[in-house]
Amino acid sequence: MKHFSEEDLIAYQLHEGANEGEIRRHLEECVVCAAMSDAIAETLRVFSAEPVPAPDVERNWQWLRGNLTVLEAAPRRRFGLLRAGWVWGSAGLVAAALLVVVALFGVHVRRQVVPKPNYAINGRGPLTTRPADPAIANHLDAAERLLTEVNHASGPLDNTMRSQAHNLLLKNAVYVHTAHEQGDVAEAAVLDNLGRVLTTIDHTSDGESEHRTLQLRVEMNTDGLLLDLRILRQNGQVGQ
Amino acid sequence: MDKVETDAIRRVLTGDRDAYRVLMERYFHSVHRIAFRITGNQEDAEEAAQEAFLRAYNKLASFRQDSTFSTWITRIAMNTSFNLVERRSRDLSQHGPRIAEEASKAEGTIQFADEKAGPERLLLDQEAITLRHAALDSLTPMERTAFTLRHMEELPIAEIAVALNVTSNSAKQAVFRAVGKLRQCLAPVTGGQV
Repeated sequence: MKHFSEEDLIAYQLHEGANEGEIRRHLEECVVCAAMSDAIAETLRVFSAEPVPAPDVERNWQWLRGNLTVLEAAPRRRFGLLRAGWVWGSAGLVAAALLVVVALFGVHVRRQVVPKPNYAINGRGPLTTRPADPAIANHLDAAERLLTEVNHASGPLDNTMRSQAHNLLLKNAVYVHTAHEQGDVAEAAVLDNLGRVLTTIDHTSDGESEHRTLQLRVEMNTDGLLLDLRILRQNGQVGQ
Repeated sequence: MDKVETDAIRRVLTGDRDAYRVLMERYFHSVHRIAFRITGNQEDAEEAAQEAFLRAYNKLASFRQDSTFSTWITRIAMNTSFNLVERRSRDLSQHGPRIAEEASKAEGTIQFADEKAGPERLLLDQEAITLRHAALDSLTPMERTAFTLRHMEELPIAEIAVALNVTSNSAKQAVFRAVGKLRQCLAPVTGGQV
């Protein structure tokens, strides 16, 4: 009598075999194979599903939420910071200067982008139809992470952050140049803006009070920049 | 995929990260259950489930919605759990417990069940649980994952194969090898009846 292999009998017990009828008939006659088949069934029973302890969804959500990248501009922050009277003077000056820069910058971008079919700076549509290469995508990703980190840092910037900004700044200059060469004005504009913020971080010095001012400036600068970076990066991913 | 999920995904992609909570509350239990089956403990299961949801969030823009979010997140969870078991397995090969006459925390040893004990008692007491875990730990990560998903979660071989990025035949063979090994592990304590 031809016996079935262990594998055949496992497949039979798991209903994965193609010859179930044949095996069933054989097991009715063959004591050896029937014993092995029963042993396999017993093994499966011993290792049947145990109850699973319930997870704490709320705790897991809180952990997860803290690690989710904000897919839009970073939330406006902590007006408590501005309660300190000494900040108002410098904040006012910085805000005024920024408004002028942003206004001029906006006019510049609108003029440049009008002829292009896609033109959403700080919008929700595609920023460019030109797929970014993986190197730019990595650059944008690294920049986004650094800016987010700076925006959420509570103490003075450490040397690592400044060093990262410095490295990104060098690469960024190359990508700005490339974008200009390729006539992608929208991408060049975003990278230019990124360059300005990176320069601010790179040139900062130690000290808590300076950090607060810097934080405010970076925050205001990055309010729309982070979204633009993500759109650029997303275009790159879609294009790949 | 229903409207609530589609809306949640759209909101997440337009910057509302809290909208992701809708998806997490719907599927965290099932994802955690699968992760628990594969990893075998609560701590690792939560870690794998969290990682699965984080990965899904970061790739949400590439989710084409031609399958359901449920299928997609489950597949990611299988993969993250499998990877975690592989990592743990590598760690254990250097720092894992050894089988000894007496269990000793200090020496990092565990004890196998008494060979004379009856199968009924074995299944109920702590020794049986230890034995069960030791037997599952003897499987490779691929065997363990394929076996638990096929046998405990009753998932089709084809789905397991896709999640683990192997052929259906490889997944099936992994399940068969797992059952064979588990049977061998149980044989000494049940007098060769298993």
